Formats: sequence, structure tokens, C-alpha cells
Amino acid sequence: MSHPLRRALPVLVLLGLSACGPSAGMDAGPDAVDAGRGDAGVDGGVDAGLPRLPDGGVAPLVIPRQLSDLHLFKAVPIVDGQVQPEDDVIPYEMATPLFSDYALKTRSVRIPEGAATWSRDEVLDFPVGTILTKTFSFPADFREPSKNVRAVETRLLVRQPTGWEAYPYVWNAEQTEATFAPGGRVMDVSFIDADGGAVTTQYLVPSKNQCQECHHVKGEDSEQHLLPIGPKARYLNFETTVKGVKQNQLERFAALGKLTGLPQLSERPKAIDAFDAAHGSLEERARTYLDINCAHCHRPEGTAGETSQLFLDYGNVDRFRLGECKRPGSAGSDVGGEFDIVPGDHTQSILWFRLQTTESGKMMPLIGRALSHQEGAHLVAEWIDSLPPKDCRAP
Amino acid sequence: MSLTRKLLAASFTLALAACSGASPTMDAGTGGGAGGGTGGGGGELDAGTMPPAEFSYCESKPRTLLTFAPGQEQAIQDAVNTLEECTTLQFAAGTYTFDNAVTIRQKGITLVGAGKGLKGELTGTATSTVFVFTNAAANTNGVDHVGSWFAIRDLALINAKKDALRIESSTNVRIQKLRTEWAVENATTNGAYGIYPVKSTNVLVEDCEAYNAADAGIYVGQTTYAIVRRNVAKQNVAGIEIENTRFADVYENVAEDNTTGLVVFDLPGNPIAGTDVKVHHNTIKNNNRGNFAGVSASSSTVSQVPAGTGTFIMASRRVEVTNNTYENNNSVDVAVLSGLAIESDPSRWMAAGFNFASADIFVHHNTMVGGSGDNVDNGNVDMTLRPFGALIAALYGTDQAMGGTGIVDTLIWDGIDATAMDNLANDINLCFADNTLPAGVTRSIGDLNFIAVQGMLTGANPDFVAAWNKTGHYAQGVAPFNCGAFSPALAEVVLPQ
Repeated sequence: MSHPLRRALPVLVLLGLSACGPSAGMDAGPDAVDAGRGDAGVDGGVDAGLPRLPDGGVAPLVIPRQLSDLHLFKAVPIVDGQVQPEDDVIPYEMATPLFSDYALKTRSVRIPEGAATWSRDEVLDFPVGTILTKTFSFPADFREPSKNVRAVETRLLVRQPTGWEAYPYVWNAEQTEATFAPGGRVMDVSFIDADGGAVTTQYLVPSKNQCQECHHVKGEDSEQHLLPIGPKARYLNFETTVKGVKQNQLERFAALGKLTGLPQLSERPKAIDAFDAAHGSLEERARTYLDINCAHCHRPEGTAGETSQLFLDYGNVDRFRLGECKRPGSAGSDVGGEFDIVPGDHTQSILWFRLQTTESGKMMPLIGRALSHQEGAHLVAEWIDSLPPKDCRAP
Repeated sequence: MSLTRKLLAASFTLALAACSGASPTMDAGTGGGAGGGTGGGGGELDAGTMPPAEFSYCESKPRTLLTFAPGQEQAIQDAVNTLEECTTLQFAAGTYTFDNAVTIRQKGITLVGAGKGLKGELTGTATSTVFVFTNAAANTNGVDHVGSWFAIRDLALINAKKDALRIESSTNVRIQKLRTEWAVENATTNGAYGIYPVKSTNVLVEDCEAYNAADAGIYVGQTTYAIVRRNVAKQNVAGIEIENTRFADVYENVAEDNTTGLVVFDLPGNPIAGTDVKVHHNTIKNNNRGNFAGVSASSSTVSQVPAGTGTFIMASRRVEVTNNTYENNNSVDVAVLSGLAIESDPSRWMAAGFNFASADIFVHHNTMVGGSGDNVDNGNVDMTLRPFGALIAALYGTDQAMGGTGIVDTLIWDGIDATAMDNLANDINLCFADNTLPAGVTRSIGDLNFIAVQGMLTGANPDFVAAWNKTGHYAQGVAPFNCGAFSPALAEVVLPQ
């Protein structure tokens, strides 16, 4: 079984069958587990890290039914919702994360072969074979967010030979395994919030196709392409501690040989923590929040950017396209106002209304939350109110 | 493509298809056999026969048929997220209850049920397939599709949280014998749209029914080439809405009991300027439902429409309205408006080349049965929420007070054009001729001169008589409204197979 093709074919068949329905009697067996794993050296040659096709191309990563077959995380059951990355998986954090119904998120990346290439403004260019993971968990009580935490789902973004693909996995009650759920799941999640209030929400694990609602960007070929959102240089550019070592994340990636082209310090953009007033001005913090929560769609290449012409990316300097006194194209009814942003008055601003409401058809983002992000809404309200007041109806 | 790639693809396809419909009770053993096509109860891959090609695109491609029964909702969700191109999903009669949108991102997909059932049926019968979204996750559509070559038919979609059927950025779309409905009438919280193809090309909507949408029952928007025929739209705010669309043929539809029946307009800020819309052989009557679109601090267009509006045409060009039957639309049968009436800043119309003007509107050979224009906005006029209705009511109320009929002219336009307010140049080329009008109707065209009139009616001392005298009223067939025929003729809409 040393030839990669001979190994890949039975794996495909086995995994394909076990990818659906209960797997009784269909244990994929040991062959399945190393599909797509870094096994450089076994097959020899420079590029032996990933299974190859005879024409030299990288074989697509086979998506197993059980997450454990990818060996991304250490022994299960996981404790307190915290997945522990395997040694070849690098954990990372975001300076300001996207809000997802207060879920705690644990992120990691495996780059089995090659290295990511530096990009100043866009997502780092990860090589084929890369697996980004994001595990969503909820503590029983947000006043003690590290206790009694349960993992709900782990989402994978895999850089396949043909481009990025998304794969949702749902954790079982025993926290021993997560199972591929291409159709997504809807489940009730309950917790005590930071103020001690009981919250129950209809939590949506997005289906594979729904992942595209956030992750799609129009490419130069006018086709829609799936892209990661988070791992941009500016959101990674801060220190975290991994295995007791405190280090800047970009430098950690570079030191591990997993990032090339890292420029000198002054050339590295740095996003702030939107919720730490010591980190930046109100404008900077609100714009950072809007960037990570909205700009994957609301930018010129984004799915919503084209129609709405509302651009919320951090780099946008056009205040009208940012929403100031901008009437939406077709906002629908009862959305809090006539203009996206009425400078000086968040209560008349559609932007604020949409990101705090929980009404179907009015809330933003389109997917990924059923709850209102109080802190985010408050930040954006404060920012809008701080803008010099303007009468948008004045001719 | 190398043989290996083909093998890899084939084995993966078969494996997924074989089990994608596996029900929770499926015995794992039945899926046995490498690449076996004998999945358990439903979602079954019909391995023996390849289904006929639904589209030319699929003729030379492998095609798959998956069948499902009620109770297999999760299997359906898993299946639609792992579809190969050119797959037909067939749903047996009955009720399917979904907790999430059915989201599809693939080409050559067909969804087929057993029948759309009857208005008011919220669950499936022996002859209908009904998808129910009443308890679906917040902010989700019913069926949400992106992908060219798409067909959906013989299904009902009930109580979607947002749009019942949303199709975006797709080419060659067929929506047939579909019913979209919300259980509760007049509910602002109903989903906005029943059938909603947008930013698409070559769209067919036929033999469908749409009820109780809080915006439009059937919408075709930002689309090029569309045929909308033989549909029924009732109890919506707008029955049928053609928006920022180029080359649409809209015929033999029934738009009844909506706030407004059948409308054609462009919105500001949208990059597509609509043109060449033919509206013919439709029945547009009794559209007197109170406007139930949300209204507070609203920038929605349809929320401003007065009840009783048969057809309005706004910011649109090359629109032909012919051989339709209009009856008992309390405000007016046909209204023609400039886009400046809702967005007065021309710069906001820049995206599509300043497309605010309505022009080349040809309304001819329709039958106006009567009963229209006699109770503007059902008498519930509101200057803030529905200002056009309030203006019209004030004007024709004045007419009546002065001894006139008080009946709103069959065709009204806002008189906003490029030249001086009071001239009769008709430089938007608005043509109204050869219609069959109710007995006794002499005047039938009203130039309401909105800009001048608005000032006279809304000041501290409104002067109703002066306002009425600023409007013009004409019989059909008189100059300059006796123009006709487009040059060139409206493009014929032909959709590919």
C-alpha cells in the first residue's frame, strides 16, 4: 500500500460509504485515517506530504464521517469543550472575532505541506491541503466561561485542489466524537448569560451550502469563490501563548516554516480588539467590528456589496458607501430608518437596527446569529452617536 | 481528466448518492457493497435508469434521481448539500417539516413534488407535497438556490421565515406549478416574497400560486429575459412585481385581492435599468387589500402604495400594457410615475445611468370593466405613510366637491417629465388608446402634475381648487397621448430548453 493511488481508492470507497447513516459494521479501518495527513517521508520525494494523483496533482482530501479520522485533535472525550490540537496543528486566535451567538470559538490550522504566503490585506494564501478548524462551544454559565463548557460543532475549511470547501461536524452529547453533518443541524442551546439571565436559543449549525453565504466572494473571473474570513494578517498580529510560549502569532507561523514572506514589523497591519477601549479610538474599534462581522459580504467583491453598494471593510474611505446618509436600494419595511447611518443618531440608522434586531428578514448578518450581540450593538451605537450630526434629508 | 480522477469522482459520487437520503432509522447494512446503489428507505438512488435530461445542459452528463418521503427531512438536508450536477430530487406526497432552509448550490438540479395542493392547505395530501417552514431557524428562506439550470415544480412552500423560494445569480430557471403561502392573512411578519428569482437570466415562472406575502407574491428582479405566465397572486401587498428587469413577458396571470396587482418598476441605486416589459392578457381586479407591509420609518416602496392600485409603472421604459382586464381597483387601474417621485435626488439614480424617468409606456386595447377609482386607498388616506394616495384622494375629492364625478381617471401619471410642468409635449411618450372603458366614461387620462400640486395641497393654507386646476384630464385617443407602437418593437422573450 505504498503507492498513493492504491491507498487512496479503497479509502475513498470506504469513507464514502461510511460518510452517511449510522456506521455500524462500517468502521473505515486504519487506512482511512491517514487520508490527507502529512506523512512526508513515507513515499519519498520532495512533495510526498499529501496523497498524489498519478499526474502529480494533489488528491482531494477525503472527508470522513468522523472528525477523529482526521486526527486534528488529541484524545477524546474533550474536556470543557476545549479541543486540544495535535502536534502538527497550530492553534490561533483572532484580535476581534466574528459574533456567533456568544459561542466560544477555538481555532486551529494544519498545513501539511508547504507554507502560507503573506498577504497584507487579504486572507493569507494557504497551500492545498490546509485545514482550518473552528470549534464552537458554550459554557453553562458565561459568568464562569471556562467551566462546564460543551462543544457543539467544529467547522472545517479545507483548501482542496479545486479551492476552499466547507465541512460542518456536530459533536455528540458524550463529547467523544463529531460527525459530518453536510445538511447542518438546528438545536436548542441554553446558557446563563454574563448578566445571570437564562438564555435558550435555536442554534443553527449551517449546512455545507449555507457556509457559502458568508464565505463567498466574487473572483476576477466573475464566479463565486469560497474563502476563509478570519486568518488575515491583521487579525493574527498579536501575541498568544501556546504550550507556555508567548509569541506573536505571525512570527510563530513563520518560525514553524508555515508562513513565507513575512515582512518587517512596520509593514504588518494590526487589527485591534474592538472591545478594549485602550486599543484604539471609538471609530477604529467600531470599524474593526464592522470589518470582521460584515465586510465579507459588504465589500465591492462581496455578494451583498454589488447590490447594496454598502462597503463596511476597514479600508473603505468613502463615507457615503460606508452608509452615511445612504439610502439602501431595497431595505424592505420597518428597518429602523431611511438611511444606513444617520450620523449622530443610531436610533434612526438602519445599520444599527439590523445588527441588533432578531427579526427574520431584517437581522444582519444573514446567517450565524439568532441572538443580539449587545456589546457589538452598543459599540456601533456609540460610534454613530459620536459622528458629527447630519440632517440626511437636507437637500 | 485522467482515468484516476474519473474513478475517484465516480466512487465518491456513488457513495454519497447511495446514502445521502439515509433516514435516521436506516439499517447501515443495506448500504453495503462498494459503490452500491441500494440505499435504505428513501433518498434512494435509482441505479437502473438514468432520469431523462431536464435540461440540455445535462443531456450528455451522468444524471441521478433521488427519491424522498416525509420524515426524511434531515436526509434531504444532507443530500442537497452533497449534490452532484444534474440530480433530480423527487419528493413523495405528504408534509415535510424543515428546521432550516433547503439550501442548494449546484447546477442542473430539479426538485419535483407530487403537486402544489390547494390554497389554504398547510399540510400535504395524497396528491400534494408541502414543505413547512413554520418552526425553521430565524432569518432563513424556504428553498434557497444558486446554480444555473434549475427547475422546481409541483410543490408548496409554507410559512417561510423570509422568502419562500429565493433564487439568485442563476441562468435558466424554471419555476412551475409551485404554491407559496403564509397561513395568516395581512401579517406584517410574513415573509417578504413568495417567489423571488433575482439577478438571474432566462427565468420562467408559470402556473404558480402566491398568497399572503408581506411584499410581493411573485417577484422577478434584476433579471434579464423572463416569462411570467398563468400564475395566480392573491392577498399579497404586491401581487406580481417586475423590478429592474430587462425583457419580460408577463401574461395570462390573475392578480386579485392584493394591495396592488401587477407592478413594473426600477429602484434607485440598482445597476440594471429595466426595459422591454410586456404585460398582456392578465386579469387585474379587486386589488383593494389594506397595505400590510411594515411602515414605521420605512424606505420600502410597496409600503407606500395605496390600496386599490391595479398597476403602477415607475422609473420604467418600453412597457406595453395590452389586452388586460382591469376591474374594481379602488384607487386607480393604471398609474405611471417617475422614479423621482420616490427618490428626488437624480444622483441616486446614477448606478443605472439615471434611470428615474418612465418613458415609452403604451397602454392599449385593455378592457376596463369599471368600479375602479371610486374609493382611493379605501378611504384610509395617510399623507405620511402613503402620500400618493393622499394626493390623489384630495384632488379627486375636490373634483367631486366641484360637481365632477370624483372618479379617478383610468390612467394617471405624475406629470414629472423633463419639460415645463404644464405643457403637453408628452416627452415621456406615454400612450393611451383603444381601451374599452366603462360606459359613460369620457375623460380617462389624468396628468396630476404632482410637483406643482403637492405644494398647493400641503402648505399651511392648502388650495384644493387651484391644485385641481393644475391637473389635466383627457379622453383617450387625444393628442398627445394617441401615440403608439414601439420602434423597435419589444423584444420577444424566448427561453432555452
